[in-house]
Formats: sequence, structure tokens, C-alpha cells
Amino acid sequence: MSVPSEYFVALSAVLFGLGAVGVVTRRSAILVFLSIEMMLNAANLAIVAFARQWTVTGGVHALEGQGAVFIVLAVAAAEVAVGLGILVAIFRHRVTTDVDQLAEVRA
Amino acid sequence: MTDAFPNAVSVVALAPLVALVGALVNGLFGRGMREPLAGVLASAAVAVAFVLSFVAFVAYPAGGDGYRYVFAEFLSAGELTVDLGFLIDQLSLVMCLVITGVGFLIHVYSIGYMKGDPGHARYFAQLNLFVAAMLVLVLADSFPLMFVGWEGVGVCSFLLIGFWYEQRANADAARKAFIVNRVGDVGFLVAMFLTFKVFGTLDVSAVRAAAPAMAYGAPALTAIGLLLLVAAAGKSAQLPLQLWLPDAMAGPTPVSALIHAATMVTAGVYLIARTGDVFAQAPAAAATVAWVGVLTALVAAVAAFAQTDIKRVLAYSTISQVGFMVAAVGAGAYWAGVFHVVTHAFFKALLFLGAGSVIHALGGEQDVRRMGGLGKRMRVTGTTSLVATLAIAGVPLLSGFFSKDAILSGTLTSSLLADSGGPVLFALLLLTAVLTAAYMFRWYYLVFAGEERLTAEAKAHVHESPSVMTVPLVVLAVGSVLAGYLGIQAFIGRNLIAEWLAPVTAAVQFDHLSLGAEWALVLASALAAAAGLGAGYWLYHVDKGRTVKRLEPTPAAVLARSGMGFDAAAQAVLVRPGESVAEGLAVLDRDLVDRGLAAPVAAVPLLGRLMTLWQTGYVRLYALAMLAGAVAVAAVALIAGVLR
Amino acid sequence: MIWFLIVAALALAGGVLVVTARQPVHAALGLVGTLLAVAVMYVMLDAHFLAAIQVIVYAGAVMVLFLFVIMLLNVEQQPPTTRWRWLRPTAWGLGLLGAVAVAGTVLSQRRPVPDQAAVDAVLQGGDAERIGTVLFSEYLLAFHLVAVLLLTGVVAAVSLVQRDGEDRERPAVAAFEEDPGMRASEPA
Repeated sequence: MSVPSEYFVALSAVLFGLGAVGVVTRRSAILVFLSIEMMLNAANLAIVAFARQWTVTGGVHALEGQGAVFIVLAVAAAEVAVGLGILVAIFRHRVTTDVDQLAEVRA
Repeated sequence: MTDAFPNAVSVVALAPLVALVGALVNGLFGRGMREPLAGVLASAAVAVAFVLSFVAFVAYPAGGDGYRYVFAEFLSAGELTVDLGFLIDQLSLVMCLVITGVGFLIHVYSIGYMKGDPGHARYFAQLNLFVAAMLVLVLADSFPLMFVGWEGVGVCSFLLIGFWYEQRANADAARKAFIVNRVGDVGFLVAMFLTFKVFGTLDVSAVRAAAPAMAYGAPALTAIGLLLLVAAAGKSAQLPLQLWLPDAMAGPTPVSALIHAATMVTAGVYLIARTGDVFAQAPAAAATVAWVGVLTALVAAVAAFAQTDIKRVLAYSTISQVGFMVAAVGAGAYWAGVFHVVTHAFFKALLFLGAGSVIHALGGEQDVRRMGGLGKRMRVTGTTSLVATLAIAGVPLLSGFFSKDAILSGTLTSSLLADSGGPVLFALLLLTAVLTAAYMFRWYYLVFAGEERLTAEAKAHVHESPSVMTVPLVVLAVGSVLAGYLGIQAFIGRNLIAEWLAPVTAAVQFDHLSLGAEWALVLASALAAAAGLGAGYWLYHVDKGRTVKRLEPTPAAVLARSGMGFDAAAQAVLVRPGESVAEGLAVLDRDLVDRGLAAPVAAVPLLGRLMTLWQTGYVRLYALAMLAGAVAVAAVALIAGVLR
Repeated sequence: MIWFLIVAALALAGGVLVVTARQPVHAALGLVGTLLAVAVMYVMLDAHFLAAIQVIVYAGAVMVLFLFVIMLLNVEQQPPTTRWRWLRPTAWGLGLLGAVAVAGTVLSQRRPVPDQAAVDAVLQGGDAERIGTVLFSEYLLAFHLVAVLLLTGVVAAVSLVQRDGEDRERPAVAAFEEDPGMRASEPA
């Protein structure tokens, strides 16, 4: 018997929460980034689960959910590339990736 | 009651105005005046007032029932209308004469006494103001106007007692006088309220006319009487409000002479004499008045024995003598009370001015233990003081004898006191007369006779006072002798003052004494004087004060020295609880209110600092904030059931 | 069902590792685990193509990139926080609160599980042909925009790590002093 979609969404919520905690808690910028990626993933999971649920009512629209996830994946990959590039650039100037020490957003 | 205005009698209405003008001139321009000018101006003002009073007195028809002069409407509120006007009748004229006459002499004396004092212009301004207020008091035709004068003399008393205010003690004495007076004022005010309630008017003549028709012994009338007694007690320093008078000696001596001997302290007597018709209908109140007077006289006489300050003896003597007057008006012998006011004004003012002369001569010394034998060095002062001493002791043929005898017979025969122990009062007053003679002998002896106990510097300083001070003394001495003949006992001759005052005072029934009884009374008075003087002579001249010295440490003597414990009682019962309440409230105010108000003030920078915490620049906190916000939104949405 | 629970447990384990691991490499590996678990779940949800993409792109390229940067920057072990000690518990509380709330709501509003036959009829396993059809028909614009975005990302990444031209003209010593980041790239 299939697993109800709600279970996937619940898992996705928990993973998302964990990711949020990680964003706030972690001191190193890279680890913050990792947590962000986890959050993105959790969102993707939720979308796919709902996409499957849509097959009951929406018919073709169910596939659009998966298409959306595809696009999100692509965007996430681009974002990681750029983000890590920024991090490396910062590190060159400051030697540190500690988020707290990078607090002077102006400078 | 005629309202014809103006006529010869009406000129006295100008008297207060003249005194007021004198006060204003001295008050505003006095600072720049050269030495005697301020005093001369002030004395002239009072002299003019005296002349006006005298003219009115002469022009007044004997047996008339008063002139009423209304100037304006004082206040009008609902059913109450009070007019601003003067009531000029026999009683007010007598009082005016005493105030302005004795006042004039004291003003002249002050020119010499206050010579060289930097505030002498202020002194004369205040003294004139006092005369003006006192005149308003005795001339007022309605209780509110009388109260204006009443308060006015209270204020001037305060100002003059604390004349040398740089010394804390003087300011304290002035404050004490004012506060104790205030208690009396409350009595006056409530009496006014009650009078309006009962009589429907605050006009003196109207109240007097309506009183006999009231129920005899009605509680309302008794209440009014008792309240008026409270007022009189405050102003005239009777039990238990006599605390302020001994301390009031802190003021300049002429002030003590005028205000606390001749005039202000007699205001209470005047008040009761004026409202005698009410008391005649309320025997309980009248009896209370008499008892208060007698007890005060006795207590003060005992206290006078133990005093060592030349003026304090006279202060307690004043309290005692005013007690006599109050007893007289309480008994219903209104003319006797007023008679004693007149004679007392002469000899008490003389005594005080004599004391002032001594103080002045000794360069400020006031302790009788450091005086003695001054009669030889200061002839005029000594002689006049002797005359005054004998007069107050009640030596026959001097004024005090006649007025005191009148009071004594009044208390014995009054119908108002028939049920309240008239004879007992008589006996106590007789005893007080003996004491009076004794302590006054002591006073005279310690100051003017006996051996010299002066300090070296005083001895060098001592001199007879200048004539500007001694002439008033002589005039007053003559008055002390002759004034008595105004009130010769009716069975001997014509009682001028009783006849003069009869139309305007309430008529009270007095028992008729047989001729023998009358003579016995006269003899008793004379004997009392002799006994007192004799006792004094023995204690101080013969025994040379040895018995006195042995008795000094006894608790009775200590009590007498402290004014019979009234000050201590007032301290414990009133002052200290009052101070603790004030302390408590101060703590409340300081800690609760002030700190409580300071707290919100401190909160503002705190709030600001709290705000700055938000702008940290630390992304983690921002992220946390965003998370919190998101969770909150989610929670709200969930609770609101949006995701159904 | 049982498979779901096992895979879910793996995903959660990986997630916790990401959030709590001291060493950055451990955290990265945790994320890899989570990603792979999620890929399995995609298969369970009849999104086979997506599962494949997930493994190739995410777990394969993105994570490798992460590990590269971690080692390049020699990210240190996380020192324990001294400041804002309340932050950690608060964050945990909030996060779990939110998660539980959403999960709870979702779980309380169950819909009927779709019949497998119906799912297959629509998704047909979510293979590449189906996804492609969607992307190239209705979401063509979005698809092209994503392409542009990827191009932008590449350009940005390259330009960010490119050094300024001025640095090259300086002598080697100066470059050394100026650029402490160089030290990190020395062979460990």
C-alpha cells in the first residue's frame, strides 16, 4: 500500500525545521550554507509529494510539480556556485568565515 | 440706632484709616527715613486716632444705643448678606480710647527703645498696622468684619513677636503664637457658622437683639458660647491655649506692652462682652467661661512665682489678670471685665515699659537673678514700677483695687453662676489675688530693691532711660492711680463706667448684698493685697530668700517654672505625633512618589537601549528573528484554520 | 511503509548531523546522506527522473563543490559559542515548534491515498519524456530563464574567484603578504 503523501510532507517539515535551526545556530558560513541546502531539499520533497497527490484530482497538473522541482534544483545549483564563490572571496580578505565576525555588513 | 452720617461721633470711624495710612507710609518709605522720623510719624498717626476717639467720646450722648455706619456691602451669598460698617457705641468707644491712648504712649516710648535698630521703620509700620487692625476689631458691626480685625491683630502679633527674626528662637515663638491663635480662630469661625444657622444673620446688633427671645439654656446657644470661649481663649491666652504668651516675650518689650498686655489679649474679653446677650441666655456656657478664667488666673499666678526672666513673670501675670477679666464676663459682670481691661492696660503697660527700661539700661540683661537695687539708680523707672506693682496687687485707692473688687463681687453675686459654684470661684479668685500681690512684690523686690547682683559690665552700663521713655512711664503711672475712680463701688459713690456701659451690655441679675456684706468684701480685697505683699516681704526681705531657695528643687517648683507643664503636654500630645506623621508622609513622598516617578523616567533610556539591541549587525540574530516571524505566521495561520 | 520509515530515519539522521556536527566535513557528509535519502523518496513518489537528477546534480556536483571549498578554506572546527547562549535553545525550540506545528496540521488532514494505477496513468513513472514535455511546452519561458540564470551563475562564480590584474604585477613577496588566503592553499 502506498505511503500517504502527508507523511512525506511531515518529514519535509521536520527537515525544513532542522535546516532553519542550522542556519541560525551555525557559526561558520559554509555550514550555514549547508543548512540552507537542506531547507531547499525539504521544500523540494514537499512539492514532489504534493505533485503525486494531485494525480487524484488534477491530472496533468501533477507533472508540473515535478517540473517545478527540476527548476528549483537548477537554481539551487547556481546559487551554491555563486555563494561559495562569494565565501572564497570574503575569506581572502578576512581569513575568517565566522559569521559573527563578519557582522559589519557595511564594511 | 441712628444712621445719620456723618456727625461728630462718626469721626472715630476714620481712626483705623489714619493708623493704616501711617503703616503704609512707614512701610513703603520708612527705609530711607532718618532716625526719629518714622517713630514720630507713627506716634502722630496714633495721636490723631486718639483725638478722633476722644472727640467721638465727648460727642456721644450718654445712654444712647449706638450709631451704625455702613460703608458698603461686604459679601452677599444666597441668604447671607454682610455689610461693611462700624458700630460705634459705648463699649467700642472705651476700647478705642484705651487702644489709641495707651498705644500712643507706647509709640512714643518705642522711639527711644528702638533707637538704632536697623528695622525700626518696619517696627513702626507693623505697630501702626496692629493699631488699625485692633480698631477695626472693636468697631466692627458684624462678625466677619470683626474676624478681619481678629486675624489682622494675629498677623501683626506674629510679625512683631518675630521682629528680630534672625534668631531662630524668636521666629519659633512667633510661629507658636500664630498656630495657637489659629486654634482659637477655628472656634470663632465655627461660632460664626452656628450663629448664622441659629440667628440667620451675622450682624452683631441684630444678634444681640434677637438673643433674649431665644430659649433659655438652648443647646445651640450654649454651643455658640463655648465656641466663642475657644476663640477668646486663643486670643487672650486662657487655658489651655495660654502656651504662646510666655514665649511671645521674645519680641521687643513695647510690643509686649501694647499687644500682650493692653490690647490684643483683651480682644477675647471684648468678644464675650459684646456677645453677652447670648451668654446671658446660656448659663452653662457662661459658667464655663468663668471657670476657665478663674483656673487660668490661679495656674498662671502659681507659675509666675517660679520665673526668673523679668518679662516672663509679667507674661504669666498677664495671663492671670486676663483670667480675672474672663471670669468677670463669664459671671455676667461685663462692665467689671471692661473696667479691669482699662485699669490693667495702665498698670501692665507700665510694668512692661518699666521692664523695658531696665533691660535697656542693663544692656540686654533680662534675668532677675542678676538685677537688684536698681531703684536707687533708676529713680523714675523704679518709682513708677512701684506704683504699678501696688496697683496690680490691689492696694486700696489704686486702680487695681477697684477693678478687682468689682470682679470679686461679681462672681460672688451673679445669678448666672448661682448653680455653678459662684462662691467657690470667688474664693479661688481671692486666693489668686493674694498670690498676685505676692509674686508682684517678688518681682519688684528682685529687680529694684534688695542687694545689687549686677554683673560688672551691667553695672558700668546702668543709667536712667531718656525722657522719651520715662515720660510715658509717668503718664501711665498717673493713669494707674486715677483710672480706678471710674468704677467706684456703687454703694460708696457713683460707678461711672458701669453706668456708661449699661445700655450696650446684657443685663444680668446680681444678688443684692447688704451694706455690711459689701464693706466686708472691700475689706477682704484689701486684706488679700496686704497678705500677699506681706508674704512677699517676709520671704524676700526678712528671710532673705532662704525658704525660697530651699523650695526651689521641689517638683512643684520645677513644674511652676515650666509653666505648669502645659508646654510639655502639648509637645507630647500634639507636636510629636504631628512630627511623626509629617515624617511618615515625607518618607512616603520621598520614596514612593519621587522614586516612583523617577522609575518611568529611567525607563526611557532603557527602552532606547533595548531598541539598539535590534540593530546588531549579526546575521544570526536576524535569521533567528526571521525564523521566529515565520513560525509565528505559521502558527497564526494554523490556529486560524486557513490551512483547512 | 517500512521502507519509508527506514529512509525517513536516514534522512533525519543526516539532517541532525548537518546541524550538530563539529567537523564541517561530517556535516557535509550528513547532507549527502540526506540528499540520497530524499532521492529514494522521489522514487517512492514516482518521480524517477528527478531522483536521478538529484543524485547527479545535488549529491554529486553540489556536494563535491562544498567539500572542495571546505578543504580549500580549511574551515576549522566550530568553537563553542560564548556569546548569546540563549540563541541555541531558542532556535531549536522555534524550529521544532514550527516543524511540529506544520507536520501536525498536515497529518491531521489526511486525504485519500491515490490509487497506484491512477498515479501511473498520470505520471507514468515521472520519466524524462514526461518532464521534458512539460518543460518544453507550458514552462518554456521558465526553462530558458533558468538557463540564463545558470549562465549568470557561472560568470559570477568565475569573476568572484578571479584575482585583480594589479596583483599579478606586484612582486611575489607583496602578493604573499597581501593575500593571507594563499596560505590556505598550500599543500596540507
